[in-house]
Amino acid sequence: MKKVKGLFLVLIVAALTACNSNDDGVEAGIEIPGITITDDIDCCSAEEALQVYNFLQTVKIVPELSTVIDGKYNVFAYTQTGSFHNGYNEIFFVATKKATGNYIKNFDITGLTPLMHMVKMDMYHSTPVGPAAVSFNKDYLAVKRTWVSFLMNTSEAGSWTLSYDALVLGKTGGIEKKDIIVNALPDGQAWLKSFKVGDATYYLSLVNPLDFKTGRNTITAYISKKSEKATVPYALAEETFTIDIDPRMPDMDNHTSVDNTSLTKQADGSYAGTINLTMTGLWRIHLTVKNSEGDVVAGGGELSSLYWDVTL
Amino acid sequence: MIGLLLLIIPFQTDTIATSSQNLDEVVVVSRGQGSKRSVKGQVATIDEHLQELSHVELVRRGSYAWEPTVNNMQTERLSTTIDGMKIFYACTDKMDPVTSYVESGNLQSISLNSGLNGNPQATGNIGGALDLKLRKAGFGTDAFLLSSQAGYETNGNVQVYGADASHSSQSFYVNGGAFYRHADNYKAGGNKKVDFSKFQKVNAFVNSGFRLAEKDALEATFIYDRASDVGYPALNMDVAKAEAFITSLAFKHLFEDSKLESWETKGYYNHITHVMDDTTRPDVQIHMDMPGESWTAGAYSLLTGSFGRHQTQLNLDSYYNRLFADMTMYPGGAAPMYMVTWPDVGTLNVGAALTDNIRLTDASSLHLSGKLSWQHQRLNNEEGYHALSVFFLGMKQQYHQTTGRVAANYQLSIHNSQLSIGAGWGSRAPTVTEAYGYYLNNTFDQYDYIGNPRLKNESAIELNSSYQLSTLNSQLSIGLDANAFFFSNYIIGQFENRLSAMTVGAEGVKVYGNIDHATIANASLTAEWCPVKGLRWSAKGAYSIGRDNEGDRLPLIAPFTYQSRLSYATGPLSVQAEVKGHTRQAKYGQKYGETETAAWTIVNLSANYAWHHFILRAGVENLFDKYYATYADWCHIPQKGRNIYVNLSFEL
Repeated sequence: MKKVKGLFLVLIVAALTACNSNDDGVEAGIEIPGITITDDIDCCSAEEALQVYNFLQTVKIVPELSTVIDGKYNVFAYTQTGSFHNGYNEIFFVATKKATGNYIKNFDITGLTPLMHMVKMDMYHSTPVGPAAVSFNKDYLAVKRTWVSFLMNTSEAGSWTLSYDALVLGKTGGIEKKDIIVNALPDGQAWLKSFKVGDATYYLSLVNPLDFKTGRNTITAYISKKSEKATVPYALAEETFTIDIDPRMPDMDNHTSVDNTSLTKQADGSYAGTINLTMTGLWRIHLTVKNSEGDVVAGGGELSSLYWDVTL
Repeated sequence: MIGLLLLIIPFQTDTIATSSQNLDEVVVVSRGQGSKRSVKGQVATIDEHLQELSHVELVRRGSYAWEPTVNNMQTERLSTTIDGMKIFYACTDKMDPVTSYVESGNLQSISLNSGLNGNPQATGNIGGALDLKLRKAGFGTDAFLLSSQAGYETNGNVQVYGADASHSSQSFYVNGGAFYRHADNYKAGGNKKVDFSKFQKVNAFVNSGFRLAEKDALEATFIYDRASDVGYPALNMDVAKAEAFITSLAFKHLFEDSKLESWETKGYYNHITHVMDDTTRPDVQIHMDMPGESWTAGAYSLLTGSFGRHQTQLNLDSYYNRLFADMTMYPGGAAPMYMVTWPDVGTLNVGAALTDNIRLTDASSLHLSGKLSWQHQRLNNEEGYHALSVFFLGMKQQYHQTTGRVAANYQLSIHNSQLSIGAGWGSRAPTVTEAYGYYLNNTFDQYDYIGNPRLKNESAIELNSSYQLSTLNSQLSIGLDANAFFFSNYIIGQFENRLSAMTVGAEGVKVYGNIDHATIANASLTAEWCPVKGLRWSAKGAYSIGRDNEGDRLPLIAPFTYQSRLSYATGPLSVQAEVKGHTRQAKYGQKYGETETAAWTIVNLSANYAWHHFILRAGVENLFDKYYATYADWCHIPQKGRNIYVNLSFEL
């Protein structure tokens, strides 16, 4: 009898202490790892913070560009791969409060300055960069985006540093000439090309070509102008151009596609057009650049020698 | 009585379809009686059996898997079914017409309905409908039958081995067998070796039936067919593997004391895997992988009955087919290039067909047939859909089509002659290649073809007539047969100069389009004379024309073809001599990339001798070792030179 009573007791204790399978041990409400949501008006609401958090899962942090401001705030930088490569790289910035880890809604990133040190000649030059970092989407107020388009990769010939200024809740900071590595692109990828008009040098940066898929794609690019002082980052060219494109497959007898439209200048300073890709593989996008009068200023002719290479 | 019916119907599955003898034509493949049969007996390939049918020609891309044409129309305008089952080829280059997925041993016979009067399961059959009738032992007295064949051909070292066995009882039957074929590269006339013309094939099948009740039976079919290392000298690629699983389960009910006669409901599934291969070819600029797959599941239900003068069939059918093919190209060193060539097109088709044979008088009859079908197509592969959308801005991912056909045929027998006249109208939906194909290279005209999802249905009006006269105490018979097809919205590839070819070396790109009208007409004259018992002489001549809307010649239309046979049979021995050929194809489809074909004539000899359970067949094909190509030989690849064959069949 005692044994039976004991058995019941065990059963009751077990029943009272056992967890339900849908009880995952977390308090109700939105929970974001590493972030405490408080009623802080500088920072994101729980919902906004979750959106930012989820977005940041799709990119990777660049550790060398992180900094602390005034001991209270962190600034983090992200790129698609956590590193840099030749040509166009998007950079995303967030600022957080150290105390809560939550994302600060308003902060400024300015003065993004990449600098190449050419060892042999002991010369310095910069490269095309985007305008000041801005929130790129109403859903991600707390994410500022800009870009840098590297002319060359890090090698024995030279190495890159990067600087930027940050203004977070009235406090200034940033990083100064941090060493960064810029990787070469694999064969079959060439996303930055230059052309000259008179003495001026212009750069054509193709935006995120790895997003291209077989079929109809929007093609976006920027045209930057080399600064008079080469160490000053190259800003977007003020002139208006048109970029005619002729995509070809060099491995397939220069097979081409139809109904591609020229890249024309958009309100935000970028150039956009349509490119049709009939299959995956190496596409050589031959370019003809025209000025606002319609005169060819670079490239042109059958199979223009000015081209981007994209392998998808 | 019912037992007898059950015995007859499964065994002679062509009974129904051939009830109107003059409309259909049957070539007998397996044991059984019939006037049309390949001289090589069951050892012959399906293609060789098909050659026996009039209206049929074969487009040859190698020594294997020839593509049958009926009334000078290719696969797109034909229906090919296996015992009423729909099956679709899986190769974007048409290397595998569905007739290549069965073997002679699988079949009892092949029936052909010329023109729009198709078998009830046929859809899209403007040119004609082929139904491959499976060989089923059928219910009967306890019997065990065994047969085996072995054959050898000198040209190409062809070896054929086959064996099958059957068991039947009143309540159960099963028959099955296996077949193996092997061929090395053959030699054209003048001892010229034709590279990449070898093949190898294995096939196994089982058919069985259970009698559930006195009048109810269940029948099952399973066929496995696999061809490997198949060479296609006319194409840039060969085939590593072409494999098919074909299965079905049918329920048959026979009615007693009723106007209804029988009711058969069949469910089926088949799956084809096709893998092309260019790794054995020299000088390949870019190696390519081009696999394709076809899945079809379907069902039909066929009810037949007799109502006074009417013999009627009602058929409802439905099938779902999926076709997917893609291509990966490997340029040396650079990144692979990938494209979807058939964007996983799912086709759901439902149809209802009615045929009626009306005996008007003892000497005249009327045959009516009609079918209405509706189909829905969806492009399941997003990448393929987006790729094609580049050329067809705003194209949808789903389409549907309604097609139909009606045909009427009147037959009158007077004294020794028989007259038949017929007319019909029918339409077909574009094929997956025509509607959604993506850069499919055609070696015939060296163009890359792109499908057009906005094609209209193609339709045709058919007129036909035939006259058969038997005279001189039935010693001589003469037949005249003619038909004409007047197409609207004829579908054919059209130049698209804006597009650039994908295939290295291709001339350009064509996109399928509808041309307003086109005409194809065929006429043939046959004669047969049996002056004394055992001696038979037959001759046949046929001529066809095909023109497009601008009066230009369509491609792959036969020139004047002729054939004459003299045969003599005495006791167990029969011998035959044959002359056949065609004139110079002077009126070829130049506009469509066709080039001229020279005239040719060849002589064939054959003999067969039956002794107890054995039949020995031997012969010489192309006796004078002529180097030639027919108008239907893709890219003018030459036919076989002299070939001596011998084969032995054993039947118990």
